Amino acid sequence: MKWRKLGVLLLVLAFAATMVVGCGGSQDTSAPDQTEKEFKVGFIYIGAPGDAGWTYAHDEGRKYLEQQIPGVKTVTLENVPEGADAERSIEQLVQEGCQVVVANSFGYGDPMLEVAKRYPDVTFLHCSGLQTAENVSTYFGRMYQPRYLSGMVAGAMTKNGKIGYAAAYPIPEVIRGINAFTLGVKAVNPDATVKVVWSNTWVDPTLEKQAAQSLIDAGCDVLAQHADTPAVQQAAEDAGIYSIGYNSDMRKFAPNANLTSPVWNWGPYYVRVIQSVIDGTWKSEAYWGGMADGIVDLAPISDKVPTEIVDQVQAKKQEIIQGEWDVFFGPIKAQDGTVKVPEGQALTDEEMLSMDWFVYGVEGTIE
Amino acid sequence: MKRVPVVEMIGINKWFPGVKANKNINFRVYPGEIHALLGENGAGKSTLMSILAGLYRPDSGTVKVKGQPLRLRSPRLALQAGIGMIHQHFRLVNNMTVAENVMLGAKGRVRIRTEEIEKRVRDLSEQFGLAVDPHAKVSHLSLGEQQRVEILKMLYRGCDTLILDEPTTVLTPQEVKDLFKTLRLMADQGKAVVLITHKLSEVMEIADYVTVLRRGEVVGSDHIHNLDEQTLTRMMVAREVIFPEFNRSHQLGPTVLAVSDLSVPNDRGRTAVRRANLELHEGEILAIAGVAGNGQRELVEALAGLRPVSAGSIRLQGKEISHLPIRERSEMGLTFIPEDRMGMGLVPNISVVENAMLRVYRYPENRRGLLLDYRTLEAYTYSLVDRYQIAVADIYHPVNYLSGGNLQKLLLGRELDLDPTVLVAAYPVRGLDVAATQAVYDLLLEQRQKGTAIMLVLEDLDDVFRIADRVAVMYNGEIKAVLNVSETDIDSIGALMLGVQ
Amino acid sequence: MKRLRLVRRNNESWLVKVAVPILSILLAILVGWIFLVLSGYDAAETYRRMIQGAFGSPYAISETIVKAIPLALTGLAVSVAFRMKLWNIGAEGQLYMGAFAAAGVVMFLGDWPSWLLLSVMLAAGFAAGAIWGLIPGALRAFWNVNETITTLLLNYVAIFWVSYLVFGPWKDPNAMGFPLAPRFPQAAYLPVIPGSRVHIGILVAVAVAVLLYIVMKYTRWGYEVRVTGESPEAARYAGMNVVRNILLVMLVSGGIAGMTGMIEVSGITHRLQQDISASYGYTGIIIAWLARLNPFTVLLVAFLFGALLVGGFGVQTYGIPYAIVLMLQGAVLFFLLAGDIMLKYRLTITRED
Repeated sequence: MKWRKLGVLLLVLAFAATMVVGCGGSQDTSAPDQTEKEFKVGFIYIGAPGDAGWTYAHDEGRKYLEQQIPGVKTVTLENVPEGADAERSIEQLVQEGCQVVVANSFGYGDPMLEVAKRYPDVTFLHCSGLQTAENVSTYFGRMYQPRYLSGMVAGAMTKNGKIGYAAAYPIPEVIRGINAFTLGVKAVNPDATVKVVWSNTWVDPTLEKQAAQSLIDAGCDVLAQHADTPAVQQAAEDAGIYSIGYNSDMRKFAPNANLTSPVWNWGPYYVRVIQSVIDGTWKSEAYWGGMADGIVDLAPISDKVPTEIVDQVQAKKQEIIQGEWDVFFGPIKAQDGTVKVPEGQALTDEEMLSMDWFVYGVEGTIE
Repeated sequence: MKRVPVVEMIGINKWFPGVKANKNINFRVYPGEIHALLGENGAGKSTLMSILAGLYRPDSGTVKVKGQPLRLRSPRLALQAGIGMIHQHFRLVNNMTVAENVMLGAKGRVRIRTEEIEKRVRDLSEQFGLAVDPHAKVSHLSLGEQQRVEILKMLYRGCDTLILDEPTTVLTPQEVKDLFKTLRLMADQGKAVVLITHKLSEVMEIADYVTVLRRGEVVGSDHIHNLDEQTLTRMMVAREVIFPEFNRSHQLGPTVLAVSDLSVPNDRGRTAVRRANLELHEGEILAIAGVAGNGQRELVEALAGLRPVSAGSIRLQGKEISHLPIRERSEMGLTFIPEDRMGMGLVPNISVVENAMLRVYRYPENRRGLLLDYRTLEAYTYSLVDRYQIAVADIYHPVNYLSGGNLQKLLLGRELDLDPTVLVAAYPVRGLDVAATQAVYDLLLEQRQKGTAIMLVLEDLDDVFRIADRVAVMYNGEIKAVLNVSETDIDSIGALMLGVQ
Repeated sequence: MKRLRLVRRNNESWLVKVAVPILSILLAILVGWIFLVLSGYDAAETYRRMIQGAFGSPYAISETIVKAIPLALTGLAVSVAFRMKLWNIGAEGQLYMGAFAAAGVVMFLGDWPSWLLLSVMLAAGFAAGAIWGLIPGALRAFWNVNETITTLLLNYVAIFWVSYLVFGPWKDPNAMGFPLAPRFPQAAYLPVIPGSRVHIGILVAVAVAVLLYIVMKYTRWGYEVRVTGESPEAARYAGMNVVRNILLVMLVSGGIAGMTGMIEVSGITHRLQQDISASYGYTGIIIAWLARLNPFTVLLVAFLFGALLVGGFGVQTYGIPYAIVLMLQGAVLFFLLAGDIMLKYRLTITRED
């Protein structure tokens, strides 16, 4: 009998709850329409800002944007899979009144172009994308530049010349980073090698940590990473060796291990582009900015690194910013030792964007 | 000096739904005594001992241990009182060693000293002649050795009353001898042993005292010296009920089913039926009598095609069928009512119609194009319901709602409707009340009248006299005798069933 | 001493069957409500947006349907096997194999007329999924290997196989090395309702449901499957060919899951890639279970599940973090499953002295 009474009570409670849903709803429906003046920007994230990596860096940029342009309001959808859910998510942001939609992963390309066709008045920004359209820009940064600098730090700090690199997927963006890093290593430490292990995931702390551990087991004494979470940093910290972070300054996750991190700095780019959309001066482009634009940078270098190395890195950084030199300037040898880029030549953007070979000094295969 | 019984059960009653398993039972065991609890299957032996071992609670009655009334609410409490039971199915952890099994669940300190336990196990096995290696893994042991581990477990926990439920069924003759030696050693050292059994020879060999149960009641309890096999047989099976005679024919019809030199293995691969020879004739009812577990089940399952045979032949109207699949046998007119009514004969959770059609759903007349024709199937079901007087609220309700009697009528009706040449049924009236039993027997007799050759496995000798023309008695996998029911009596069958020569 | 015990119900009244799931959902909302309020969110608005996001506009409903199509099909796929108590946990892998086969057809027959191409793709998807179901089916039928484990493990094989293809031999040369197979030509797209993403897969799902309902209920084979599922002993007793039925059931179950894969690549992603399935093969198991294996109920439950996923996901733009969205969805699932147990069993208090 008691149970039946309890059931009735719950039923009544639940009923009351739904009534409140209905009423509450009707009061609030008009709210979004009152603020027509505000400029709405929607963000589609592959991960969550809590990943402390890729999406975190984008979210920092989003916050920066809100600070810098007071009229801008942002909304986010996180953990959006690249399959069937992407198109709906982009569409939802447009339908909720976003004038600009930003998507932070390569796999959003097809659905974004699809939605863009239907909404010619809305501006779409696709990070790391390939295909632009009338109202779709792609944007990315020359992360290989700070990666080269971080490679110099790693090459200077390794004792046994074995550096490990835990990488996500064998795609051009990642391969380019590995090559740039290795060239940086070789510049200060010609005997050192970079061992690559694929974790086949962007966001999975467990797998990333496993990849890191396998490198530690192989004897590496400095680890670098190309994945979204700080798992590799923590593995290095636990093992008492050095590490190079990625995405954001990962010092706080591994205060003893972390030497520096190549970092993204999306804020200024977002501010510039959104402002141009507001002003009506925006034009579709395929943007690939470097350290000179500030979209990529190297986080402060740990004081464990000797000052002469820091000076050397700073000097190289200035060369890059001034445009006097870039990472993929010849001579560059391929993994097998043959000359890939002769002295006096440099890789074009297209060659860099489709890179599918390793430089000399990388241990591992692209598979 | 007055001896105090180590265990005393007074006025024990226990009902199960529909059955009274124990009726006002008094039972006493003294230290140093091997006490046989004798009776047919279903006589209530295991129920009574399960009460003592704390598995069941009596509906009324008192249990005293060493003179103190106790409530044995769980096996743990029973163990604390010194009562341990070894079941037919052992409760051992296969991938642990003997010593680990022995100490499992035993009271003791948190920290376990393995050497100490092993030493204690070794001492116990020497003391009682239980040869087993404490380091061996249970999965490597024979069933006889596993039984020894079970006994060791109980001894380790300090049991002074040990109950063994049919301990010899899994043992080889040599192992039986060893077991009996151990039991005698235990009794000599002051422990009480209760041996649940239905084997007369064992009782005569080992017991000091015997209590006989029949249909939940104590029919006799005495010192072994005051008893002989004849008396015990009579106690176990004798009944005084008289049944209406039916018109038995002594003229046998033509042979329909011929079994010759048939051997059938049981689930464990041991021979359960040994070189059996039988003939079944048109228009007769042949009963298979025997104490459960003597090969009846395996015999009929082999006839039905549910169990492979290892040797011999089965001929249905002259044609060898022992290797034909079930479907072909049933198409040739052999049909089978399994012991397992719900689960094999009938399908739980589906409707009466869908159960009624189990045999005929393949027939073309029950099909319309590619689909089953539920209109004709429905009509067919109603005809079964009518003819066999099955009480059904709705033929589209699951069969689970039917009573046991109606289930059996549905099953039997479905099979009889095929007008079989041979009908084999295992325990067709088990668990049915008087009225339902009568209804089933009426149906069977009616079918016999139509000329069907019927073979029934029966557990109650009364039933043999009530319905069968002839009776074949099985003991230990062999057919001991085939007799005309009108020319024999209950004592002779009972003696054959119990292996008395 | 009092003890709570679960006792199996003998019969379920119609009212209880309807009331329990509704009560379960309301309870889940209540719990979510309390949680949202304690976390400082406007619970009423959150739920209003959730409902709005799932049903609030023609577009929202169309997206709910888009999500429901693969859920319904995988739900139907596993329900066939579950009918016979074959625990096919492998719909996910069968889906991937179906997608792979469909994409393979496009690669080699891409210039065929659309209707023919799509038919061949669907058939290939079914065949590939069927083979992927038959492998564990045969292991079970002939050697009694537990199909739960084999189907589960084959999921990984299928997923890695597709990954291998899109990273390796089938990589689109125009994708600059990114792991994507080439985009399908327009002819290989499933027709859609104009202005939405609702594709013809919805008709496939409905057709499969109708067909399964008829087959299971009105054919000899369906009858044999149900009898075998309820009692293998009875099936043996009645002389049914259990081996053949295991093979057929796994073939059909895998085939339907394979068609789901074809429908997803042809209707949604338009190319073979990783992450074709958002765990549809696993969610289908829950759906089949909640629907009690009834094909039409599977359609309904899949639609509601689609609504839960689509509507739930969208409330993020209201500032609700994804983790809380998952928690709200999880609460609904938890209470539904708990309610399902309450439907089959009832709580009683037994007194012991």
